[in-house]
Amino acid sequence: MTPAQPDSIGSALKALFGAAREELRVATARGAGGRMALERYADRVDGLIRHVVVDAGPYEGEVAIIALGGYGRRHLCLHSDIDLLVLFGQAIGAPEERLVHRLLNPLWDLGVVVGHQVRALADFSQLETDNPEFLLALLDARPVAGARALFERFGAVFHEAGTHAFILRSLLTLIQERHAGFNDTLYQLEPDVKDAPGALRDLTAARTIAMLTEPLLLRRGPADAARFDDAEDFLLRVRSALHLEYGRNQNILSHELQERTAEILDYPGAETRLRVERLMSDYFRHARIVSRSLEFARRTAPVPVGPNMGLSRDGVRFIDPLQAARNPASWLGIFQAALDAGTEVSDEALSCIQQHVDRYRADDFFIDVEGRAALLRFLKPRPGLYARLSQMHDCGLLGRVFPEFQAISWRVVRDFYHKYTVDEHTLLTIRKLERLSGATEPYLARFGSLLADSQAPELLVLALLFHDVGKWRDDDHALESVRMAEQVLDRLQVSGEARDVVLFLIRHHLRMSLAAFRRDTEDPDIVRQFAGLVGTEERLKLLALMTLVDVDAVGPGTLTPWKGELLWRLYVDAYNHLTQRYGDERIERTEAGLTELQGHRPGDVSAAEVTAFLEGLPQRYLHVFPHDTIYRHIRLARDIKPDEVHLSLEQKGTTWALAAATLDKPFLFSNICGVLSSFGMNILRGHAFTNPNGLVLDAFEFTDEDRFFELNRDAQAQVLRVMQDVVSGRADVTELLKGREQGIFQAKNAQRFPPVVHADNKTSGRYTIFDIVAGNALGLLYRISRVISRHGCDVDLVLIATEGEKAIDVFHIAKAGSKLTEAEQIALTSDLQRTLEGTV
Amino acid sequence: MKLLKSIVRPNKVDDVKDALAKLSIAGMTVTEVRGHGKQKGHTAIYRGKEYNVSLLPKMEIEVVVSDAIAEDAIKAIVQAARTGEIGDGRVFVLPVSESYRIRTGEVER
Repeated sequence: MTPAQPDSIGSALKALFGAAREELRVATARGAGGRMALERYADRVDGLIRHVVVDAGPYEGEVAIIALGGYGRRHLCLHSDIDLLVLFGQAIGAPEERLVHRLLNPLWDLGVVVGHQVRALADFSQLETDNPEFLLALLDARPVAGARALFERFGAVFHEAGTHAFILRSLLTLIQERHAGFNDTLYQLEPDVKDAPGALRDLTAARTIAMLTEPLLLRRGPADAARFDDAEDFLLRVRSALHLEYGRNQNILSHELQERTAEILDYPGAETRLRVERLMSDYFRHARIVSRSLEFARRTAPVPVGPNMGLSRDGVRFIDPLQAARNPASWLGIFQAALDAGTEVSDEALSCIQQHVDRYRADDFFIDVEGRAALLRFLKPRPGLYARLSQMHDCGLLGRVFPEFQAISWRVVRDFYHKYTVDEHTLLTIRKLERLSGATEPYLARFGSLLADSQAPELLVLALLFHDVGKWRDDDHALESVRMAEQVLDRLQVSGEARDVVLFLIRHHLRMSLAAFRRDTEDPDIVRQFAGLVGTEERLKLLALMTLVDVDAVGPGTLTPWKGELLWRLYVDAYNHLTQRYGDERIERTEAGLTELQGHRPGDVSAAEVTAFLEGLPQRYLHVFPHDTIYRHIRLARDIKPDEVHLSLEQKGTTWALAAATLDKPFLFSNICGVLSSFGMNILRGHAFTNPNGLVLDAFEFTDEDRFFELNRDAQAQVLRVMQDVVSGRADVTELLKGREQGIFQAKNAQRFPPVVHADNKTSGRYTIFDIVAGNALGLLYRISRVISRHGCDVDLVLIATEGEKAIDVFHIAKAGSKLTEAEQIALTSDLQRTLEGTV
Repeated sequence: MKLLKSIVRPNKVDDVKDALAKLSIAGMTVTEVRGHGKQKGHTAIYRGKEYNVSLLPKMEIEVVVSDAIAEDAIKAIVQAARTGEIGDGRVFVLPVSESYRIRTGEVER
């Protein structure tokens, strides 16, 4: 196509535009400059712009010309600005800028006042929070020319719940500010028919609020749709008359213009005064309708809290129930939104779900990874979870999502203890759990602190939901509950450690109360057996919480401070056993776990290797690491020579796992901690194990706080190389840490938790155990372990844990193969305490 | 009549109940209590911090028996509740002069 010659283009456009304006002028002059005339004028301007786009000539990229604001709504008055968005599908460069000029120049030549915005689609990935008026204008966006597909893509990016919520908040503020400028009254003697309270902007605002929150909102308002439309047409006709008379974009209905407008709109009356009175009487009647409708919308509109969800006085509800009914995967979202807002799901939304829930199968509710992850997030215990789950149960959703739970609906099991149906008992356990965090009674508050420190409390809630589902039968319910929970976990695709934890808790949910209330917990064998059952501190913590709330939810008064004390004592004894006595419990050749590992070993790992690696390591090792990791450790330790250190580093979601195998070296543990700290890594958990052959295995889990791995291409290799150099003595970790260490002990965590150092020479037959609790800080472990090494002690076993901002470390140490003397303990304790307090 | 007031380890309640049932003593009152005798509690350590466990959870079992079987009942309780370790508890024996059945007003002396 050959672009037309500029002169001929100009005159053609001029004629086109002139004709459109003349048509509107004539209509306005006979009082008909209302909605229909303005829409027709806007359509003709659309035609003009399409001409301009064609005349602008070819353009290689993707572009859309979009009408905004009043022009987008097709309410274009004679002297209104023509607001346009020129949207490009790609980044804006020289060709795009040239196109913009080719589009705008002809319009400017015509004398059109163009309010133009130029954006690339990518610009909309970030909300322009500093320009709420532009965002409001975008709500009226209407494609005029160019790529329709690009406009659709813009819509998908822009119309998002968070954006809508921001625009709504901004709009409400803008309304308030604008009204303040008019002293908050619509009864102005010379009103501005665009900006005054009750005028056109308020009318648009009422519609916008409805559009952003609930499309049918205004139907429930004080004015029916016909009266609202009448008001709009009247105000537009007045505004058109003002533009005609003023000859510019002026919207104040002054005393002089009231007379002229009354004439144009053909108000009857022998005298001007009467005609003006009738005009203004109509104006105030319409403005009152607009004003009351806007007030209604401001007061009752639900605040957007998610896709198709709004928060109103009766809770969170679906903005479009029909759309919600077709999308069961969105239903969990409304319960999550209510939980987040500290309110309930509205009866209307519950009715909608109840009405449609039977159409769907369990798989329809969580169709993808994101949906399943959202469910686990929802189950994190916090105030309101019980109430939301109860609502889900009442409307039939819980039983549909989990048919396993449906099996215990209203199930009555008669015994001397339980006071509620099985389903309600189950849900009450969750209420008891969520209330633990705010508990003030000391015997409950300490369990509350366990909950706060738990790494994945949602797994506990999942276990609680299904711990009694096996009670639909009358025999041993724990095993049946495990079988049913396995189905749930299959559907939710919960695997690995998370799955094992949930099934463990369900399978053994009665074991802790049995041990605490019916066994002699002063007998070390009882504690040892129980600790052996739970295996790790995290499982112990979750089982203790589960037992507590399970007892508490049986009936009022079932959980007494007395029972709470028994449970707590067993928890403490088992915790101490797990963290302090494990050094004396070694893996033997006949160990069941070792046999199991032999049975499942991959082809490249020999039976002899498995035995040589595991024999003599603490039994705890088998509890802490899954089989895959153990085989990886065996490979890592393969053919290790005295001067070597074998390292492996891998990413596990948001954390990193480092394993180091070596033959015993002085300062090994502190050196590894030091290197990790020197790269800004935050050590979350760690273990150090030593076997009788002198093999040392250190395993760390850490986060990359400074995004070192992400920002540097060869970062992993660099960390491993430095690690090798430091462990083999070729580099000095102290040098690496210079600068990093500064300020460590000025960190807020270090000050928030006064450090605790406790030495114990009794618990273990082999080691002196140091319990250290302190505020977590970068380099903390390095400092602790260096002090221990400086005292000539060997760090044989270490447990590192972080809970929130606390670091909890247990070191099993010996000096020349023996426990420390009392004098050595005192000296080391004092040195550690001073180091942690930052006084050395 | 005698009131036998026994303070026993929590895990021994069922054993004591069974032993008393063998003597056809069915009625009893069981209460959760906390206290200490010579045992005086002990110091526990949790995460490096010491805390005092001075009042230990125990169960109190109260039974009223006729003088004729009081001695057998005491023996049964002691035998059932004993572990041989410190903290096994005590049995207190108190005389009871009268007992009224509330429903009927019947008195037993």
